[in-house]
Amino acid sequence: MSFDETQADTPTVMVAPPQSERVVDVRGLDFFYGKNQALFNVDLPVARNQITALIGPSGCGKSTLLRTLNKIYDLYPGQRATGQILFNGENMLNPRDEVDASQMANAGGVPIKGDVARLRARIGMVFQRPTPFPMSIYDNIAFGVRLHQKASKAEMDEIVERSLTRAALWNEVKDKLHTSGLGLSGGQQQRLCVARGIAVEPEVLLLDEPASALDPMSTAKLEATLMELKDSFTIVIVTHNLQQAARISDYTGFMLLGKMVEFRPSSEAFIKPETEAMRDYVTGRYG
Amino acid sequence: MAEAHLAPAGETAPRMDNSRGVSRAGRNDAIFHGLCFSAAMVLLATLAGLLISLLIGGWPALSHFGLGFFTSSVWDPVADEYGAAGPIVGTLITAFMAMVMAVPLAIGIAVFLVEFCPRAIAHWVAVAVELLAGIPSIVYGMWGLFVLAPWFAENVQMPLLMTLDPESFWGKLFYGIPNGANIFTASLILALMVLPYIASVFRELLLSVPTHVREAAYGMGCTPFEVVSSIMIPYVRRGAIGAVMLGLGRALGETMAVTFIIGNSHEFPTSLFASGSTIASTIANEFAEATGMHSAALVALGLVLFVITFVVLAAARLLIGREKH
Amino acid sequence: MSAPVKSAGFDRHMRRKLVNYIFVGLTTLATLVAVAGLVMILGSLMKNGLGGLGLHIFTMDQPAAGTEGGLKNAILGSLVLCAMGMIGAVVVGILAGTWLAEYGEGNKLASAVRFLNDVLLSAPSILVGLFIYEILVAPFGGFSAIAGAAALACLAAPVVTRTTEDILRLQANHLREAGMALGAGKGYVIRAIIWRASRTGLVTGALLGFARISGETAPLLFTALGNAFTSWDLTQPIGALPKVIYDFANSPYDDLRQLAWVGALLISFTVLSANIIGRALARGSNK
Repeated sequence: MSFDETQADTPTVMVAPPQSERVVDVRGLDFFYGKNQALFNVDLPVARNQITALIGPSGCGKSTLLRTLNKIYDLYPGQRATGQILFNGENMLNPRDEVDASQMANAGGVPIKGDVARLRARIGMVFQRPTPFPMSIYDNIAFGVRLHQKASKAEMDEIVERSLTRAALWNEVKDKLHTSGLGLSGGQQQRLCVARGIAVEPEVLLLDEPASALDPMSTAKLEATLMELKDSFTIVIVTHNLQQAARISDYTGFMLLGKMVEFRPSSEAFIKPETEAMRDYVTGRYG
Repeated sequence: MAEAHLAPAGETAPRMDNSRGVSRAGRNDAIFHGLCFSAAMVLLATLAGLLISLLIGGWPALSHFGLGFFTSSVWDPVADEYGAAGPIVGTLITAFMAMVMAVPLAIGIAVFLVEFCPRAIAHWVAVAVELLAGIPSIVYGMWGLFVLAPWFAENVQMPLLMTLDPESFWGKLFYGIPNGANIFTASLILALMVLPYIASVFRELLLSVPTHVREAAYGMGCTPFEVVSSIMIPYVRRGAIGAVMLGLGRALGETMAVTFIIGNSHEFPTSLFASGSTIASTIANEFAEATGMHSAALVALGLVLFVITFVVLAAARLLIGREKH
Repeated sequence: MSAPVKSAGFDRHMRRKLVNYIFVGLTTLATLVAVAGLVMILGSLMKNGLGGLGLHIFTMDQPAAGTEGGLKNAILGSLVLCAMGMIGAVVVGILAGTWLAEYGEGNKLASAVRFLNDVLLSAPSILVGLFIYEILVAPFGGFSAIAGAAALACLAAPVVTRTTEDILRLQANHLREAGMALGAGKGYVIRAIIWRASRTGLVTGALLGFARISGETAPLLFTALGNAFTSWDLTQPIGALPKVIYDFANSPYDDLRQLAWVGALLISFTVLSANIIGRALARGSNK
């Protein structure tokens, strides 16, 4: 653990993972919805094979921040981001920037070069509401895989089974793989989306309030799944549920009014918040 | 029925101290409700009347010719012999060919407007497409007759006639008097006419795909093509078929534009560039002068068109659904 | 296991991108085809119609071939037909639309009317002509302006009904409740409050209905029939612009064809204006 020197001049409390462990490293990010600025000079270091949670009252910018990481905001004209989002040392916001070769070599990756389709293949996302595609359970998973690789029937069967197993859904759906994904319960649908996301073997998995539409039982299953997955993936999760963040995350970023206020290992963050704002939030004063 | 629609009005009558006020307001409400109800029934009666009048008017022809009415292609007012196979087949073929041309274009336009069109011009392109729907069919017909047909005759039909062996398959397929008035050009005009209807329903359907589904697809690294073809179009499949049926309904019943350019022959069409007729064009051309069995045969044709379009349009409405539209 | 995506090769990726570019190109092309169609048709109208436009078009009845003349009888006839047709359509359409929106909730009969009205909306206009012929022309011994107007009313009423229902449904329920809470009867609330609040929308419906019928030819062929002279007798055949265009366009004489183009220009201009104004109003009132 070391203080990040670039942040010395801001009031942020930042205890960040070391440079070499960061898969994604957001630096000085500003984000705009048209003329409205939603993020102000935000930093977010994301450590490999850890779960990073983003918390804060609604409207604080945590979802906005998450949506910059795979550039999904690109779909909407008028939304733009400035600053740096380094993915394995390569700046996603400006593909012409110099690439940190050592980072890239660490990751063993191929450069993205500004291609969002390639970026999104490597940074997967699970949304707030379950989003099964209008096709069978099997095809929901095969669909993404087929985008990126050629797979025989046998290989595909294996990938589908492995993904569903890792998402803790296999036992529940193995007898109805060829029925519509829309027929599953909400919790199952959400785990299907997780399975679909990991089937393409991304490096990072983004989750935007994945449990907010689920009942407590499904939430518990989803959390257990995520804990398992962190051995293979780097996870960033946005949640408004403090207990959830405390239970599963390794790092926690607390945001307020578009700014990153505290970023620390979760083990310390919840027990001794340093800023008054986070103290108020943890003790429930923001509702 | 009377009590059924009067009851709610009674319930909603205001309570006032003045008892005369209660009864008057209550009565006014009941009258108003009754008027609205009657107007709705007028619409029902129109549709019912349409069907009944066609049945009555066409019955003499149907009972006289029986099944032969549908299978014979002899349409001879002089001998008072009427077989409707020519116009029926002409109607189906032109409508079908129009859909083959219009549907891909309509999908393309809708996708372009929803996914690719720069925002600055999207509105204007959408208006242009809507205007295409507003042009009266007689204007389409004139344009077809005076602009499209001569151009088509000179630049498509003549060269094909000169180069193709008339005995070959292609020669036969493209055989026809090179005047541009044939079932193919009629289909072309029809395609242009129904295009905006299909495109605009399709566009609304694509816009109705929930944002989170669309984002999830892009979030997996799909290209826009993959999002549209694998996720969005399957998502609106039902409504899309409805949109196509709606266009088909229009194409089947379109009258004036087709009458101008189809060549108006009752022969069974034997090639793509043969002149032909549709049910609607036959009625438009002949009904004002027809008497007796001829008139009955035309009304019977109308009945056939009514049944076909009713089925197609009803299916379209059921598939598109009210809310989505 | 390790990230098949990264090694999936560039071929697949390039092919997907290429397919996507082709797709974008094709959709653009489709749009260009439609826009080109509109431009060509409007261009032909201008080129062939503008030249023949002049005051005489509005002051002289239609000519025989080789003589001078205008379209006065047809224009006046069309105005009479459309005016009478619209009166009928607006009365029936607004009342029926009101019944569907305000009294038809959860009513099976209303669902049936709604459904059949939607079918009537796209029903072939020539069949409406046949219907009116059977009930108004044949029994009463002759073609007449009244029969023509009735046919047009049958075509416009479904449009007005549909728009009216849609527009009334947009009115917030609290408006109705507020009216009723004052002690007003339901019918009074509808007339005095809901209709008033929906004024623009109702005008839109009428305009769209007008746009639907003003260019209609097929239903007039054997109802209004046409009349070469200006006529004010509603029980007699009456001229109509689309009918004259049809006759003149099919004639072999250049001067008559020229008049047909002028008529087509006038009628297109009218219909398109009604459409544009109607849609502009609709957009304005939805905001």
